[in-house]
Amino acid sequence: MSGAGAEKSLTGEAFMHMIKLKVNGHVQELGVKSHQTLLEVLRGPLELTGVKEGCGLGECGACTVLMDGKPVNSCLVLALEADGSEILTIEGLAQVGKLHYVQKAFVKEGAIQCGFCTPGMVMATVGLLQENPNSSQEEIKEGLRGNLCRCTGYVKIIKAVEAAVEMMREGEQT
Amino acid sequence: MTWKVIGKGLPKIDSISKVTGEAQYTVDLKLPGMLYGNIFRSPLPHAKIKSINTSKAEELQGVHAVITAKDVPLNKFSFFQWLADKTILCSDKVRYLGDEVAAVAAVDEETALEALSLIKVEYEPLPAVFDAEEAMKPGAPLIHDKEKNIGFHVERLFGDPDKAFEECDYICEDRYVTGQVSHCCLEVSNCIVKWDSSGRLTIWTNTQAPHTQRQEIARILGIPIRNVRIINSTMGGGFGSKLVIDMKLPIAAILSKKTGRPVRIENSRAEEFSTAKTRYGYTIYVKTGAKKDGRLWAREMKVIGDNGAYHDKGPATLNFSSMMFGTLYNIPNIRYEGNLVYTNKQMGTAFRGFGNPQIAFACETQIDVLANKTGMDPLELRLRNANQSDQMTFCGAEITSCGMKECMEAAARAIGWEEKRRGKGLRGVGLANMVHTGAGGRFYGYNAADAFIKLSDDGTVALITPAQDMGQGSHTVMAQIVAEELGVNLEDINVISNDTDLTPYDLGSWGSRTTFMNGNAVLDAARNTKKEIITVASEMLEANPDDIILEGGRVFVKGSSDQYSFSELADYAINKRGVPISGKGRFVDKLPSGYTIKEGFAKNIPTFAFGTQAAEVEIDEETGEVKVLKVVAAHETGTTINTLMAEGQIEGSVVQGIGYALMEGLTLKNGKVINDGFIDYKIPTFGDIPEIETILIETNDPHGPFGAKGIGEPGLVPTAPAIANAIFNAVGIMIKELPITPEKILKALKEKKGG
Repeated sequence: MSGAGAEKSLTGEAFMHMIKLKVNGHVQELGVKSHQTLLEVLRGPLELTGVKEGCGLGECGACTVLMDGKPVNSCLVLALEADGSEILTIEGLAQVGKLHYVQKAFVKEGAIQCGFCTPGMVMATVGLLQENPNSSQEEIKEGLRGNLCRCTGYVKIIKAVEAAVEMMREGEQT
Repeated sequence: MTWKVIGKGLPKIDSISKVTGEAQYTVDLKLPGMLYGNIFRSPLPHAKIKSINTSKAEELQGVHAVITAKDVPLNKFSFFQWLADKTILCSDKVRYLGDEVAAVAAVDEETALEALSLIKVEYEPLPAVFDAEEAMKPGAPLIHDKEKNIGFHVERLFGDPDKAFEECDYICEDRYVTGQVSHCCLEVSNCIVKWDSSGRLTIWTNTQAPHTQRQEIARILGIPIRNVRIINSTMGGGFGSKLVIDMKLPIAAILSKKTGRPVRIENSRAEEFSTAKTRYGYTIYVKTGAKKDGRLWAREMKVIGDNGAYHDKGPATLNFSSMMFGTLYNIPNIRYEGNLVYTNKQMGTAFRGFGNPQIAFACETQIDVLANKTGMDPLELRLRNANQSDQMTFCGAEITSCGMKECMEAAARAIGWEEKRRGKGLRGVGLANMVHTGAGGRFYGYNAADAFIKLSDDGTVALITPAQDMGQGSHTVMAQIVAEELGVNLEDINVISNDTDLTPYDLGSWGSRTTFMNGNAVLDAARNTKKEIITVASEMLEANPDDIILEGGRVFVKGSSDQYSFSELADYAINKRGVPISGKGRFVDKLPSGYTIKEGFAKNIPTFAFGTQAAEVEIDEETGEVKVLKVVAAHETGTTINTLMAEGQIEGSVVQGIGYALMEGLTLKNGKVINDGFIDYKIPTFGDIPEIETILIETNDPHGPFGAKGIGEPGLVPTAPAIANAIFNAVGIMIKELPITPEKILKALKEKKGG
């Protein structure tokens, strides 16, 4: 999002509240309405469409991003609540074209079909493994329970997360 | 046969764009000047429209258009036009809760929603009917201006079932019920439509069948087909839900025409659950008769299909059910009767398995009840009746390759049949067979596909195929076929499939047909491209064309160090010879002699795919909960093109099948869907999945590309009956209604103890 302009508001209507976010390493200052969700702001003015909306009600996990390092359903967070926080979306995960090891594992293990749940699933996994780098299969299943996938039957996603745990153990750096 | 690319477990070619969030889905697109449309839907399941007042909505600032039936063409439409029964917007009557009455286009979603709240419609409520069997009865409320609610009827007869049942030693008769379930694609159904000033309509939408939808749009709007262009994007799931248009496309078109601006309409998740099309609910009466030795001798089935309020793919679904019913086992005497009945509910449509999971649940659970009667092991009974390769069945099905017996044996072995069948506490195992098409069908009177390849001047290969990738991975399958044939790397192939202006006509991605049909067309295009490559290479290498080898993106002669890369070859072809390299491919599935669609029955299927699933379950007698411990899924693939993706198709299907068996079903109260979100409509999550063991059985189909057949749908078909049979084995109760909820288990256990 470099060049999007930290100084100027991206929307400038009345009864807007100015908030400041650090999104994928870049400071963004923008006006939001009080009922606007973080998801709406990310997909709308910030055009981070890698963040997906599956239900808008916190039931599917497709919109998962990291807020101050913790996975959240961005559809359940008001943009105002996110003021001052640091947000990492799928767009900010790979560094200069180098995939994060969780992304590598998802590709290699065939954990992706339609791919719509993938960004949220990957971010939830990154959050999970930051919290518990040695997650067991049961912990993976529990930790990702809020993320729905209709294509894969979860089997290869679990394998991918296990592979990511292994890669991390072997010292793979992002 | 050793292949370099075929048969490998390679990641999908679009994985990187999907894992980085770069992949653009239709919901991610925005056009300059785009307006946001929304649909005003009926709040009643059945009513006359007395008046509509849109004036307040029109006055709202930011609203650009409000339309009702008076603004749209009122010609009736259906997928089968001879059954046309639905207009774009309702003019006089609404037939389900959610029926489209009016629509708005506004500057943003909020304004569009506010405008909807300002539309006032007066209704005169009519009695409604929500059960298909009730709707068949005399005196039931009539949903259309027709004498009865039966919208389609089909009968099939082979042999003499009445006489044959008299000859049977064992007979079972049961009634089964399966409900309406939702596809639950993670990307909701949505579109952007732009009607430009030259009269051309461009539609961006998530679709499995852009070419047939293009015809449908032209038909419903009464405009020439040439005026319609459909562009697909990366798709967030399909499963059959995106074959036939729904009304948001023509509604957005009219809104765009009225406003001169592109219009987006997107379902909310609640709309997706409560108004989008579903799997057809079936009520099924089955009677099966066997001889003393276990030979299945006669079978009849009566299906009452819940059509919902309007026609869609129902007739085809009922017909397909009959073909699978006739082909699963080679029974000499069969009768099938199907009735498709209107109800005041959301419409049905195609859904992975297409009428097959419903009847497989009935047929395959009844086999276990029958086996129980005869005292035979259900596996043994099935093995005695197994189909084989190169067989013509009594109902005329031509079975070319068949791994039914191998699938059964593999599944039984992997689940530990002998040992676990004896039961241990409240655990049990069960299995079920399936047959499905492995190559779509000849339902249009033909079955064909085209493809084009060009070798770009940089040496990369562009493949133009109409095969739609909804996530199942067809782009990767097509690319693998090209890579194998041309000896290039997978990453050197670009697959283009998303624009009806560009791609050859095609019937769409359904019926597990893309690998077989489009795959064969792509293989033909690759072979023709290869011929041109060899001509050029033999000139460059001054060698005999027969000696040219294509490998690793290079051409050379065996034993010689002279070689050229594809980019050198392309450069030579274009700049020295002045003739670029390309290839056209076509596959026409040869129709059997004397074939007609109507009389073809199972001859409509180019090749069949068999499979067996075995499940182990544990029942909690206190709560009625069923825990699926393990599912073994043995399916034949012909030849597996990509092991990773074939497994993925089967694993995903099995888990959808577990949802179908135990959890999923739309629940209505007075015609209103009350579980219209993922909180109340449960689909399997990480916590619900058992160990899944996938076994791929290769049978090398004589007509498939590299021997392959489709594997997109089969994995869902036998899951529910395998689980029901395992429950039967564990606690001796057979639940005949899906989903098998804890309430049903507890009730049956109580009745069993009481009785």
